[in-house]
Amino acid sequence: MEIFALFDCIISPACLLTQAAGGLKIGMLLFLVASGLTLVFGVLGVINFAHGALYMLGAYFSWQVMSITGHFGLSVILGALGVGIFGILFERILISRVYNAELLVQILLCYSVVLILDDLVMIIWGDEFLSGLGVPELFQVPPLFIFDAIIPPFHLAIIAMSFIVGLILWFIMTKTRFGRLVRAAAINPKMLEALGVNINLLRAGVFMLGSFLAGLGGALAASVGSVVSGMGSSIIIESFIVTVIGGMGSISGAFLASLIIGMARSFGAVAMPLFTDGLMFMIMVLVLILRPQGLMGKKK
Amino acid sequence: MKKINKYSRRAILKTSASSASIFALTGFPNILKAENNIKIGIPTILSGRVAQLGISVTNAIKMSVNNFNNAGGLDGRNIELIVRDSRAKPDEAARVCRDFINSDKVDVIINAEASGASFAVQEVVRESGTLCLHSVSETTSLTANPSIRAWNTFRFSRQGIHDSVGSAKYAAKIAKEKGLKTWMSVNPDYAYGRDSDDTFFWALEKFSPGAKVLGKGWPKIFQPDYTEVITQIARKKPDAVYTSLWGGDLVSFIDQASLYGIFKNTELFAINLADYTTMSAIKNLPEGLHSGTRYVAAWPNTQDNRNYDKSYTDLYEDHPTNWSWSASVAIDFLINALKETGSTDSKKLAEAIKGKTRKSFMGVGDNNSVSIRDRDQTIIDYSIGWGTTISNEPYMTGIQAADWDTIKELEKIWLADKNWL
Amino acid sequence: MSFLYKDNFHRDAFLGLIVWFTLIVFYHIFPDPGIHDIIQKVFILGLFAMSLNILIGYLGLIAFGHAAFFASGAYTLGLFLQSDYVLSLGGFSIPIAMTLAVLISSILAALIGVICIRLNDIYFSFLTLAFQMLIYSIILALVSITGGDQGLMGGFPKPPFLGIDLGRPFDFYAFTIFISVITIVILRQIIESPFGYGLRMIRDNSERPAALGFSNQKHKLIAFILAGSIAGLAGSLQALLDVGAYAEWAYWSKSAEPLFMILLGGMQSFLGPLMGALIFELLNDFVTANTRYYGLVLGLVILCFVLGLKKGLLDWLLFKFNRK
Repeated sequence: MEIFALFDCIISPACLLTQAAGGLKIGMLLFLVASGLTLVFGVLGVINFAHGALYMLGAYFSWQVMSITGHFGLSVILGALGVGIFGILFERILISRVYNAELLVQILLCYSVVLILDDLVMIIWGDEFLSGLGVPELFQVPPLFIFDAIIPPFHLAIIAMSFIVGLILWFIMTKTRFGRLVRAAAINPKMLEALGVNINLLRAGVFMLGSFLAGLGGALAASVGSVVSGMGSSIIIESFIVTVIGGMGSISGAFLASLIIGMARSFGAVAMPLFTDGLMFMIMVLVLILRPQGLMGKKK
Repeated sequence: MKKINKYSRRAILKTSASSASIFALTGFPNILKAENNIKIGIPTILSGRVAQLGISVTNAIKMSVNNFNNAGGLDGRNIELIVRDSRAKPDEAARVCRDFINSDKVDVIINAEASGASFAVQEVVRESGTLCLHSVSETTSLTANPSIRAWNTFRFSRQGIHDSVGSAKYAAKIAKEKGLKTWMSVNPDYAYGRDSDDTFFWALEKFSPGAKVLGKGWPKIFQPDYTEVITQIARKKPDAVYTSLWGGDLVSFIDQASLYGIFKNTELFAINLADYTTMSAIKNLPEGLHSGTRYVAAWPNTQDNRNYDKSYTDLYEDHPTNWSWSASVAIDFLINALKETGSTDSKKLAEAIKGKTRKSFMGVGDNNSVSIRDRDQTIIDYSIGWGTTISNEPYMTGIQAADWDTIKELEKIWLADKNWL
Repeated sequence: MSFLYKDNFHRDAFLGLIVWFTLIVFYHIFPDPGIHDIIQKVFILGLFAMSLNILIGYLGLIAFGHAAFFASGAYTLGLFLQSDYVLSLGGFSIPIAMTLAVLISSILAALIGVICIRLNDIYFSFLTLAFQMLIYSIILALVSITGGDQGLMGGFPKPPFLGIDLGRPFDFYAFTIFISVITIVILRQIIESPFGYGLRMIRDNSERPAALGFSNQKHKLIAFILAGSIAGLAGSLQALLDVGAYAEWAYWSKSAEPLFMILLGGMQSFLGPLMGALIFELLNDFVTANTRYYGLVLGLVILCFVLGLKKGLLDWLLFKFNRK
């Protein structure tokens, strides 16, 4: 435990701000992915354990588009959309069959899809890791110095993008008809059906949105990292931690929790580099004990 | 939920059965399975993200075994390879080994498991007395620790302490040339990474006394986001960074670190960088990074080595990896031992391998040889080199060979420190 | 033979003895070590899965973090047998090590259980998982004690006791099956006792038991401790088999394995998880011997069971059998 290192860091503006900026980037990217997970749970009541695999698909799909077009923006968007479409198929063909089934059945269904996809991507794209998309030309510039903090412009872009996506999500859920229907469906689907709303379309739509978010997260991760089978396994655990801490079904909760986890990671790496993961789980344990519904969740 | 009727259930089962059959393992052709075959069991990783490990090892071994069999084998006896996937799980590796020994009745095991599982394999073969050639694990203690090694186990892969002494000597030389005084490290938090960090900085202290270590980053292996480690490097601005990250992890790390402009002011010493797949996967590879040679066709700069690379590439349309060469050397020593003893008895074979010196494409001992050291039954005099990276083939330039006299000398001191001598 | 139809201890013990004896004979008739290995593994994993089913099948609580107790049993046994106590305890070492493994796992289960059972549904599940992963992180961090990600290295001695030498394959086989059968018989008595029926009541209707003056929480805790201790026993047997303990056994994917077995074999029949362990092991051996794509095949098989049979195999067989 390097408590002094942490202390030294907090009292130094350069360190505090740089690590905080790093934590913000980690958190925002995590929020992008976790928001999709919490959305699907909140509305459909399904714990999509395959969410990490969708993230992985986002990385692979965007890589594929990149190798054809060479255009960054197109790769990310089409990659994410591709996963959204896959999400619709996944929901209609498999998830819809287990809405009323036990939790265990839902979890195992999703986990089986993870196992299948992990092998499928290796069959299709080979078993070696693939190179990332690469940061677009625009961002291949030296990092910025803001109040002595070192921040790459690309990270600022990611933070901004995630924030905007979060805002759009919030707007959709609270200000549009779709959002109102979706929230109503979470409370009383039968009533909605009786009113003539196509519940199946609604559900598919929500799942598509959740999958799109996972895919977007994966595509962005692919911009600065290698693409490989099994890359969903680390993100799914973190997404669950965020979802639980924030409150299952709460997007604002996911936002808050992602920030907490991002900061915990960034400063945890200074204070306890060999126990950073342990720190995450300790936070999760504490939240579940003290406030099981999560920071912004509703008590059932 | 009566939507699934009997027809669709059958349809599902049918598709899954047929898909399972088309994915056949690249196994030994059945036609050559004969009772008096010499059987070699190879536990390895063939699935998941590290599948390339198992693939490149089995490719290398098959290449040699096919030549051996085609040339008549051992008085007509062919070598039969049995390859099994342990999915990188140590208890699976142990089970696979037990099956090899008890059910398949293999004569030899060439262990191609990663470090963690290799210790599991070691325990199984210790109990059974089967000859075992470790060809992947680089964790020093596997052979250096007297309570772990055994009479029937030999290591043919690189060893942490050897690599580290070579790395540190090179790093100290560069440090002197360029005035590098402060260091940081980024190593994956698992056995190999800890071993590498531990031995490198121990050796660096000897060659470059006064080198100051400003901090260490310990990401988890396969971690996708290195931001929290990179920010620390960006702030502290060390003169140099040592890393034993490899494969996709190293690619991610370099891509992400480039965003912070780290490599403008910091020299990177990445022992595992100069691997074809890794190098070609990095976007905007910064010039002048330092890397160990692991396996490259350009080093050792000999015709034998170039021939090895060419034969492998012609057969498999892919370059050999660092895992490939040690497997090739292992099978070479084994085949030689089989020929010398004319037997598959473990004790006889062990005797024919222990202390043996043979010419090898990776050898830098007398007459380009490698040897299996008597004392700890591990390989020495294999090629260790460092150089700087360039963005095109052959990906490395200015390669300098590590000096084995220095390595052995320092190794003795390190072992004495640990009371392992 | 009518006493076989009476569901009581004598019948169960008798059947258990028959099974054990049959498998002993089987060992000598079919000397293939591969098959023996599978049978041993099926019993060890079967114990693990059956212990989880106390919570899932009978109590209705889905625990995601059950492998924490499997790992604690394994590490306790491993660390004990690697210690110097073995020198002074000689032949008592293994029985004491196994007892310690069960004891430590029970204590761990008590500590974790008392916190977890306060939550319901998905929150209970996640908390058990969080605790398991916390334990995993601790195991990784304490490298000097546990060996970290490498697990306990260097093996440990297996001193013979009561004439049983666990270094000999036959002794290990007979011992493992014997311990497993005894545990299963005892578990059966517990499950079929008023306590066991109390568990079912809690599963089916959380309010009724309280109205009957019944303590839900106490029952849940006892069940949790019971499940944890049997998992610890399974872990200690696994450690003896592999002469080591591995960090992977504390990772969340190890908790998924008994879940698969419960799905494959069935959670509504007592021996369902054991059958599930059999299917899982056979699948494991067969698939890894024939293809690299184990995940693909396992995933497809699970899909078939989830969407097709919708029950575990034993549940389905019993269902068909009872329908006649």
